[in-house]
Amino acid sequence: MSGATAVGAPAPGDAGAQPELRPIEVEDISVRFGAVRALADVSFSVAPGTIHAVIGPNGAGKSTMFNVLSGIYKASSGQVRYGDAMLTSMEPHRIANLGIARAFQNIALSGTQTVTENLLLGRHHLTKAGFLSSGLRLPRATREARRHTERVREIATFLDLGDKLDTPVGVLSYGDQKRVEVARALCIEPQVLLLDEPVAGMNADETQRMAEIVLEIRDALGITIVLVEHDMGMVMGIADRVTVLDFGRRIADGTPVEVQADPEVIRAYLGAGDDSGDDAAADSEPPFPSDEERTS
Amino acid sequence: MSDVVTSSPAAASSPAAPTGAVTADGRGGRTAGTVFKAVVWAALLVVLLALPLYVNEFWLRTGFVVFGAIVGAIGLNLLVGTTGQLSLAHAFFLAVGATTYTYLSGSPGGFTTKVGGLALPPVVGGLLAVLAAGIAGLLFSPLAARLRGIYLGVASLGLVFIGEHVLNTWTSVTGGFNGRSAPGFSFFGFSFSDADKPYLAVLGVPFGQSERLWYLGLALAAVSYVFARNLIRSRPGRAMQTLRDSEVAAAVMGVNVQAYKARAFFVSSMYAGLSGVMFALSVGSIAPESFSLAVSVQFLAMIVLGGLGSVGGAALGAVMVAALPLVFQQYADSLPFVAGVGEGGIVAGEAARFLYGAAVILILLFQPSGLAGLPQRFRRPRRPAGEVTAFTPGEPAQGAAPAQKTEDRPTQSS
Amino acid sequence: MTQFLSLLLNGISLGVIYSLIALGFVVIFKSSEVVSFMHGSLLLVGAYSIVRLQDPLGFWGGALAGIAITGILGLLVDRLLLARMRGAPVISLAILTIGVDIVLITELTRLIGPDILNINHPWGGQVLHLGSVGITANRALAIVVAAVLIAAFFAAFKYSNWGVAMRAAAEDGEAAALMGIRLGRVSALAWVVGGVLAAVAGLFLVGSPTPGVTPAVAAVALRAFPAAILGGLDSTGGALVGGLLIGVAESLATGYQDQLAFLGRGFGSVVPYVVMIAVLLVRPSGLFGTRELTRV
Repeated sequence: MSGATAVGAPAPGDAGAQPELRPIEVEDISVRFGAVRALADVSFSVAPGTIHAVIGPNGAGKSTMFNVLSGIYKASSGQVRYGDAMLTSMEPHRIANLGIARAFQNIALSGTQTVTENLLLGRHHLTKAGFLSSGLRLPRATREARRHTERVREIATFLDLGDKLDTPVGVLSYGDQKRVEVARALCIEPQVLLLDEPVAGMNADETQRMAEIVLEIRDALGITIVLVEHDMGMVMGIADRVTVLDFGRRIADGTPVEVQADPEVIRAYLGAGDDSGDDAAADSEPPFPSDEERTS
Repeated sequence: MSDVVTSSPAAASSPAAPTGAVTADGRGGRTAGTVFKAVVWAALLVVLLALPLYVNEFWLRTGFVVFGAIVGAIGLNLLVGTTGQLSLAHAFFLAVGATTYTYLSGSPGGFTTKVGGLALPPVVGGLLAVLAAGIAGLLFSPLAARLRGIYLGVASLGLVFIGEHVLNTWTSVTGGFNGRSAPGFSFFGFSFSDADKPYLAVLGVPFGQSERLWYLGLALAAVSYVFARNLIRSRPGRAMQTLRDSEVAAAVMGVNVQAYKARAFFVSSMYAGLSGVMFALSVGSIAPESFSLAVSVQFLAMIVLGGLGSVGGAALGAVMVAALPLVFQQYADSLPFVAGVGEGGIVAGEAARFLYGAAVILILLFQPSGLAGLPQRFRRPRRPAGEVTAFTPGEPAQGAAPAQKTEDRPTQSS
Repeated sequence: MTQFLSLLLNGISLGVIYSLIALGFVVIFKSSEVVSFMHGSLLLVGAYSIVRLQDPLGFWGGALAGIAITGILGLLVDRLLLARMRGAPVISLAILTIGVDIVLITELTRLIGPDILNINHPWGGQVLHLGSVGITANRALAIVVAAVLIAAFFAAFKYSNWGVAMRAAAEDGEAAALMGIRLGRVSALAWVVGGVLAAVAGLFLVGSPTPGVTPAVAAVALRAFPAAILGGLDSTGGALVGGLLIGVAESLATGYQDQLAFLGRGFGSVVPYVVMIAVLLVRPSGLFGTRELTRV
């Protein structure tokens, strides 16, 4: 892919440009909302440099897991370690500063700002310009902005957004916005990329392209990618390892092949006793459709 | 970001920085639109600079009031429009600025009530007043940062009432219920009041207090404007806007939410403090009733009329809301719907309030991006301008959102 | 001791009036996420209408008509203005009500002029004595009427179709809409209820020992905001408790103002705000408000 090499070289002068990859250890995480247990003693570990998928039917606790990883939810018990850093006791922005970036499932971009402006937010922790130097347009603030805009341009190009840099995000198509989400996370120069359902709502072509992008990111940057996804075909095609959640519990963990053969996983997905009604796809379709079978 | 502007000399031409899409381009160079804008700005500046030579004192005094309002409105807009924190406490921070200035630079004395004063040079008093207002904002920000959106709006209401009570009570500083007179401004020996001035005339026009204050106001408003414009288009500005659109997204992208809210409050209340100092200068005195809830509401009306989040819009809104009552008052005779005082009917102040109250409602209903969004509405019909410029704090910007949303909730409009 | 009991009783009578206002405020917020900053002027519309209509219609006729007018005004605001803005940011909705407030309060101030208008309550200014503790008949009646209204409200909220629909709408508007609940009707009725409660509160608020109808009454009504906030904006029970708390605190601070002289004269009128800020410092969502869960 043309952009792959471009994105591989971080801009000069960035703090922590070279990723030093560390494993993520999730240990006995539980999350309670009042009486509801959204996660119950979930453990798994993510090896550095791999693509690790977390899957499960609706309401299984995948998004809750992501919210714990990025510090938005506090775990009731258990811990998440990233190397020697304890993510479970950190605020979200500190986790971001460690180089753990997240792309949201429900697009959380600023619709009024342009693609460039949204992506520059990803450079927030790599830049310093404060209120005073920005308000006064001191040369160092201007220089910094220019330098990082260059890098943003590279990353946008890599995600096929090169021609939309100046477009307000609000008017982009859904698929474009999804890619802006991923691009913004990449702008953090992450060591770990958390992708929350990156292909939800995408058509087959867009899904295919996103799968390629995820692989390219891993190959070009060598970073760790954790993926929450509904789309089984995509997950099984690109993940190195899969953790399966159901009703807040971990029911399986292994390679895609292992997981696919696991009887408990099949049961969960075929929906025996599963009453999560709005998850029509998981209920009515075979658990692991191939690429050809998927339509939207 | 706006590299275009770096090539031009600093302050004066910065307002000419292109907006929106052109800005982000960074290397677009000077397009026809940019040149046009620069010309418009230059013309406006020339007119504003030359005005004291041609108009009478009423307009100059009104002008200074408006400049003060512009500064305050820009400050409130940074907080409400840009960062998405609804605050009704703006009048309180204005009061902090005005009172601090009056106390620090005023002289002790008074006839019926004894007031204190440190008689510091007005420049020092003014600077410290701005700082004091900022610190008041910082002190409030821990509470503000903990409250979610609308709770903040109501909590900030409390600050105004508590502030008014303090103004009424702390007589030795504020002059109490009747207030106290405010010291005139001077800048390294150059006086801005009629009290002790060397006679000065430009092109045969004597430059008295109102002429001098006009230029002071113009300079302060211009600096406030440029600073806010730059701020919004830079790293802190992007963080503030994301905070408005989605707090969670901002945090996950590395923005320290609490700290940023605190800084937004700090900057916004410094603007309010400066506006308060200018208010004290324009009236020549301060009194508790000048900092009531109605003042906060007025500032809110300014930024809504102008268009939330737009610096230029805030300035425009300030011009309308601040000048209307004064102009109505002055020209009550020639305006059919405005009655003079004591004639019955609608007096100037009321007419102005009706007008901007109704304008707030109409703008929110039909033109959420405010006056600032009007040009876009006409210029680029192919782009759904309303959608893009519409202010959406507290809600994540959603992809195909506007259309989708109504589909999702079929019964809501019934 | 007598003084304390007397202040307590009067505080409670003021508190129930605040509770009525706060209840309407909370109901409106729950049903449509609108924070009604026009509640002060709404109350004043009620009080003013009663004053103007009592001459032609008699007190009871005037009271009923005034209450009806206020309810209809609430309905009109909801149907004509707010209904066009559904889905707009909460802040914009709140500011819209501020716009309405500007217009209403300007017109009312103009109509009332510098005079104090008196409602000729049939119970006049008599004082009832319970042992050595005194309370005006007006305030005593306020307690009784408010108790009945509040009981009726809670019963309706719990058992009527509207109450159920309203609670469902507050829980999850979209789900409620899908279940066939007409959100428009729910919020319209909430505004009628809010207007009626405000007018009833106004009827008593302008009676003895308060002088009469002046524009300043709107500012008194504003003290129901702290009541609603400190109870928790989305808690009807909280509005009740908050109102009582604010009423008693204000009454005590006013009654003991000689002992509190160092806080300045008239401190009683800012006590509601001081209490509110103190409570919010400890509990940012009020005493009984639900902590909003971040959904990502």
